[in-house]
Amino acid sequence: MQTFNIKIGGEAGQGLVSIGNILLRAITQEGWHLFAHQDYESRIRGGHNFFQIRLANKPVASWENEIDVLVALDETTIILGQGELRSSGVVIYDPGVLGEKAKELGNQPNYLGLPFGQIAEELGQPKIVANAAAAGAIWALLSDDLITLHQTLDVMFGSKGKKVVEGNQKVATAGFDKVREVMGSRSKPAKPERQGERLLLKGNDALPLGALSAGLKFMSAYPMTPATGVTEFIAEYGREVSAVMEQAEDEISAINMAIGASYTGVRAMTATSGGGFALMTEALSLAGSAEIPIVVINAMRPGPSTGLPTRTEQGDLSFAVAMSFGDFPRAVFAPGDPEEAFYLMGEAFNVAEEYQMPVVVLSDQHLADSYTTVPPFDLGRVKIKRGKVVSGAEAGPDYLRYAYTKDGISPRLYPGFGDGVVVSAGDEHDEKGHLIEDGETRQKMMEKRMTKQGLVEKRAVEPVLCGSEEPDATLIGFGSTKGAIAEAVRALNEGGCKVQGVHLPQVFPLPESLDAILQRPGRKFIVEGNYSGQLEALLASRFAVKPTGSIRRYDGRPINAQYILDRLRGGVCDG
Amino acid sequence: MAKNTAEFTVADQTAWCPGCGNFGIINALSQALEGLGLKKNQVLYVSGIGQAGKTPHYIHGNVLNTLHGRTLPTATGAKLANGDLHVIAVGGDGDGYAEGGNHFLHAIRKNINITYLVHDNQVFGLTKGQASPRSDQGMVTGTTPQGVSLEAFNPLATAITLNSGFVARSYAGDRDHLARTIQAAIQHEGFALIDILQPCVTFNKINTYQFYRSRIYDLDQEEGYDRRNREAAWARSFEWGGRIPIGIFYQVDRPTLADTYGDLLKTPLVKQEYDKSVVAQLVDRFRIG
Repeated sequence: MQTFNIKIGGEAGQGLVSIGNILLRAITQEGWHLFAHQDYESRIRGGHNFFQIRLANKPVASWENEIDVLVALDETTIILGQGELRSSGVVIYDPGVLGEKAKELGNQPNYLGLPFGQIAEELGQPKIVANAAAAGAIWALLSDDLITLHQTLDVMFGSKGKKVVEGNQKVATAGFDKVREVMGSRSKPAKPERQGERLLLKGNDALPLGALSAGLKFMSAYPMTPATGVTEFIAEYGREVSAVMEQAEDEISAINMAIGASYTGVRAMTATSGGGFALMTEALSLAGSAEIPIVVINAMRPGPSTGLPTRTEQGDLSFAVAMSFGDFPRAVFAPGDPEEAFYLMGEAFNVAEEYQMPVVVLSDQHLADSYTTVPPFDLGRVKIKRGKVVSGAEAGPDYLRYAYTKDGISPRLYPGFGDGVVVSAGDEHDEKGHLIEDGETRQKMMEKRMTKQGLVEKRAVEPVLCGSEEPDATLIGFGSTKGAIAEAVRALNEGGCKVQGVHLPQVFPLPESLDAILQRPGRKFIVEGNYSGQLEALLASRFAVKPTGSIRRYDGRPINAQYILDRLRGGVCDG
Repeated sequence: MAKNTAEFTVADQTAWCPGCGNFGIINALSQALEGLGLKKNQVLYVSGIGQAGKTPHYIHGNVLNTLHGRTLPTATGAKLANGDLHVIAVGGDGDGYAEGGNHFLHAIRKNINITYLVHDNQVFGLTKGQASPRSDQGMVTGTTPQGVSLEAFNPLATAITLNSGFVARSYAGDRDHLARTIQAAIQHEGFALIDILQPCVTFNKINTYQFYRSRIYDLDQEEGYDRRNREAAWARSFEWGGRIPIGIFYQVDRPTLADTYGDLLKTPLVKQEYDKSVVAQLVDRFRIG
């Protein structure tokens, strides 16, 4: 596999996301596979951010440390990035930003100064079109012609009129020509055989798209990084598919609104990050007791407290599984990439409604903000199962919301849909839903609810395996480490080891089949993005497992294959 | 206890103290709903926690018994999802003005079309007598043995300040007035607050039936009072002591939260069919190549 890495760095507000977005579309259109991740600070202007794109002739699921093209909109990008440059790597920088520290570096042959803003201005374009100059310059290292890039600019700026499109194309052409002038026609990264249509999206597109495809009708949320993208997506596109997004005054209100909506019979969810999730836990307990379906996306960022608000971590696993006070059934999912996120949202809503319980979907900043190319989603695969729902006629006038049943699941009636009334309560209640004090009813109701937990365990989503089927060593992870583990496993197997990767899309309840994986002989390494080893503790709470080693990261940065390989240091399959 | 006709029958057995103001409120609620000719399956009570929050369990209708202080967001979600339901949020003064204070402010701002009944007994009853945001200064309670030092929260002034479309006060001891006010609140398009003065016979020895009987007067009967006049309403909302006004203080029409969604909520969300082809078009927006 040939991969090629582009890193665009600069201050917040300099347009690196715009450059990135132009390139993502053009690269996808041209047929490459890609993985792109974003690193940004908790500020609106200034600081140092980057947008990194890895493209390849085969599907890629994670990022690499080495850079082929470093595009510097500020000096920090050069200072921090030069060590990551491959020997064949190129730096394209805006000469205006070079201070004393980087001036000498600028004299090296693989450094190309391009005044992006000036190029735009000389062509009579506003300064913002400088982004197109940078995109054109990068494109010269990827392609011999501008056809695809020009098409992309047409699609992206078409709504702003012909003049804007042509201005961008002119400036992109100038950037492209300058690079070719200086660097000549270098060899280009290998392309895959022509791809069919694909989707280009990040986790924060796939999660809400999955929710809408699963019939989401109501979302309420309070903005919190890195979950805000989900909220804004539903706010922007929801109405087209008859879904409401109502902004709440706080996360407590957000989840309670969603619970109120769900009670009436619509699919409802909310999205937040750790601190907001903490505020929602009270209501999760209500949903557990009142048996009201609810889906909560928790896009994790490093805690405790406000932590590193724009960075990534998997430190809320234990918290999400524990969820709230009291015993009640629940499920927790942890998709590893946008494609899995899309389909798991359907499963999350089905579990929430079929078992009438709260479901948490764990995302994190790395999944939320990272783009990949995926095959078009198959909506036929998204089966909407709303569970036991009765019509007004079936329910009759004496409907019992919490009727005792063998499987613990009482048929739902939507309020107003029959002569019977729907009495739901967080207070302990009888079959009708009215409040009780007696121990016997309490015990029966608790057992009824908890019966559902066993059912959810039986249908738990199976682990996703990759690599060797008869492994000497196993790497186990959940959530956004999926791609990193898969690539580490591939590298190890290519190096002659027999290694299997185990990704857990569902972390609670854990699938029974995991027992055999954990019991088989061979080394086991648990890979996770937190300090204390929360996945390790979770596995140990359910299965007998003695890991050989733990690979953890808690500096707020995403794990990739190299990170795993560096820490295994050959200890996987030799001696 | 007085019985009502079949649709909104009031239960014989409750967990309330004999003489509790809640009895007057539940009977007035029943009378109001009967008077409007509603059916029990059209009404959704969303209740908080406290003695007031138990009310819906003693009268017919759909019930969503929620958490302490969380009635208003839950009611907001339910009403947005099914606008056909007449949603009545029920809770006490501790529930709504302490634990749920932030939700109270924002439910008014959103102008969600629901009726909010606050059983205002100026004390925490169910936890056996602690100060509430509505307790009078000087009132001795379990948590304020030296007497309440804080100024009482003024829900009516707050609601009028936020331009709440319907702001009223009624009295648990005047069933007809309360029933009339509840009917007007339900008929009002938008958020309708009724702060109901409710004697707590066990824990509030200050604001008793006796106390209210001698002080209350009805704004609705007051000649020349214009409930569309916000400043006049605001001035009356501070009247407390020798004379205490009840009635509709303030009423104006504002767009409701559902109105802000245009046609989207003309048919309740819960009755809108899922259309896979529209979703497919949305997914297609992300296609490249």
